[in-house]
Amino acid sequence: MRLRDLWAETWEALDANRGRSLLTVLGIVIGISAVIAMTALIGGVRQGLMTQMGLDRSRVVNMAVYGSQQIKVEDLDKLQKGMPEYEYITGSAMGSGKVASETKSSDGSITGVASHYFDVTGQKLVKGRLFTTGEDDSASTVVILDQSSARNLFGKGKALGEKVRIQGIEYTVVGILEDGQMSDPKSVNAYVPLHTCVQRVTGYDNVDTVAGMVREGEDIDSAVRQTKEYLTSYYHLTGEDADNLYVSSTKSLIDSFNTVMFGFQLLMTSVASISLVVGGIGIMNMMLTNVTERIREIGLRKALGARRSDITRQFLLESVFLTLAGGAIGIVLGYVGAFALAGVATSVLSSAGGSDGGLSLTITPVIEPMAVLVATGICVLIGVVFGYYPARRAARLDPVESLHYQ
Amino acid sequence: MTPVIDVRGVHRIYDSGGVPTHALRGVTLQVQRGEFLCIMGPSGSGKSTLMNILGCLDTPTSGTYLLEGLDVSKLDDDELARIRAARIGFVFQSFNLLPRSTVMRNVMLPLLYTDVPRADRERRACEALGAVGLPAEYYDHRSNELSGGQMQRVAIARALVNDPALVLADEPTGNLDSATSEVVMRTFLKMREAGKTVVLITHDAEVATWADRCVHIRDGRLLTDEQERELVARSASRGRGRT
Ligand SMILES: Nc1ncnc2c1ncn2[C@@H]1O[C@H](COP(=O)(O)OP(=O)(O)OP(=O)(O)O)[C@@H](O)[C@H]1O
Ligand SMILES: [Mg+2]
Repeated sequence: MRLRDLWAETWEALDANRGRSLLTVLGIVIGISAVIAMTALIGGVRQGLMTQMGLDRSRVVNMAVYGSQQIKVEDLDKLQKGMPEYEYITGSAMGSGKVASETKSSDGSITGVASHYFDVTGQKLVKGRLFTTGEDDSASTVVILDQSSARNLFGKGKALGEKVRIQGIEYTVVGILEDGQMSDPKSVNAYVPLHTCVQRVTGYDNVDTVAGMVREGEDIDSAVRQTKEYLTSYYHLTGEDADNLYVSSTKSLIDSFNTVMFGFQLLMTSVASISLVVGGIGIMNMMLTNVTERIREIGLRKALGARRSDITRQFLLESVFLTLAGGAIGIVLGYVGAFALAGVATSVLSSAGGSDGGLSLTITPVIEPMAVLVATGICVLIGVVFGYYPARRAARLDPVESLHYQ
Repeated sequence: MTPVIDVRGVHRIYDSGGVPTHALRGVTLQVQRGEFLCIMGPSGSGKSTLMNILGCLDTPTSGTYLLEGLDVSKLDDDELARIRAARIGFVFQSFNLLPRSTVMRNVMLPLLYTDVPRADRERRACEALGAVGLPAEYYDHRSNELSGGQMQRVAIARALVNDPALVLADEPTGNLDSATSEVVMRTFLKMREAGKTVVLITHDAEVATWADRCVHIRDGRLLTDEQERELVARSASRGRGRT
């Protein structure tokens, strides 16, 4: 039997009981929309978190030495030379003090930053420029403000190129930075070159945060291990100092995030599987009814020369078509549902975030071709698995008995 | 020449749960190529049972059936289906049309299971419908919109459409008036003239006169030649008695 004929026969049969077919695929619709909505939302949350929290900077390794020994400003270059697995090592020193413009004054945090520091935090420059190496080396009085600080100090006026006074010394604003997700929008965050900070603000040469960017292709875990060894020997961390060392990558953070997501995924998958199985049984039930109702037709077809495989294929195609139709509806509903949920979640998160100045996460569901493909595959599979038994039963009917069936 | 139909000592016992029914009790029958045979017998005598076996829809419980020399009892389900599709045209006692499908689709149905290209199917269906004299305006009607006689003609057209070597018809004129009945019988006659073998079941002695040969079946057995002669003599004497 040719495929086109098979298709025509299937279509006529399905067309004859359209209403019942639609009801039957409900389970498939629910199951598939759950799968699709889940993957789209998880993808969206993951992407949102990655851009918001810098989870994509998985190659960042944070390191610290405490106790009697500390990492000093001049150590940064030496560490970089001693650990070639890093593309760069950067750091920051934290200070605080009064930051003032012509019109306003505020207590703020003053962070001294080495080059590449913002690559690690993920903050992006909005206007102006970053510090030059020369400015860092010469401890120049230049400053970068984040957007909310610029607004606090200069209102709606332009901040770039203006002067601010930090602890009485005049600095030139060379750049405006987007707000970091840790930054408090009500206070002032000023960034100055590391050496400027050490020499003019804090007055001691400790680096408070140190982070390295592991070279692309290097194994993060082994980089962490090597860094521990290197820092231990560099700072002679023996005896009771041996534990005064912290080396960790954001990869572990991503790993734990993935674990949480995996749990969620597992839950949704089991919900989806249950409704898919229920849907599949529904399909099987309908196909069995179908076979019984059309027993005379099947007998006739066999009497006229249809082979078992012709009948099997006809009924299998019917059930696969049903599940595929259910799947198609489910895919559309799944994405519609995902976008609706994401909209609600985003607005809830941002309204909650507005009051405490915290997280503002935008979730945009991700439409993955792979998810659509897998969903389609699942539908075909269910159609075949649950359609096979009724189809086989139809195919094995005896023509004479079937023709006399009342 | 091997006969088209060569049935030897065929028994058919229906045994589906209840009391076994011995429907055929040793039927032996040969039909030559191009022969037009008529089977007559009272209701329940096993005519349809025999016809199903001849049409490869059913297999004998015992005995052999050689179709064109091929032992059919040794074939499996799919091989029988292939023979039905290619070689046999079957007119069922109850028409067995697909009620919701059009006349055209009903007639083309057997061609789905053959190699006839799509392009040829419609033409062949029209030819077959033309042969049974169904007016063209009915071709697109659904078959449940037809009269009994029209349905019967569609069922016959469906049996002719795959150009079978053997045509089996179970009471094809049961629902027809004598004029239409004659059209149908002429169609069978034409088929026989085209070299096909025709086997027909009927209750109607009028219809039986169209056939080359007539056999009678009683309680699952064919009458012997002697019994046949007796039958003819008896009906003749009864005929005389009435006048
Ligand atoms: N599928 C079946 N299962 C059991 N018994 C059957 C079956 N089909 C037929 N029979 C029995 O076999 C016998 C012969 O039946 P068959 O249908 O061959 O008769 P028939 O000669 O065609 O009669 P009619 O002229 O009424 O069509 C009957 O007694 C019938 O009850
Ligand atoms: Mg009968």
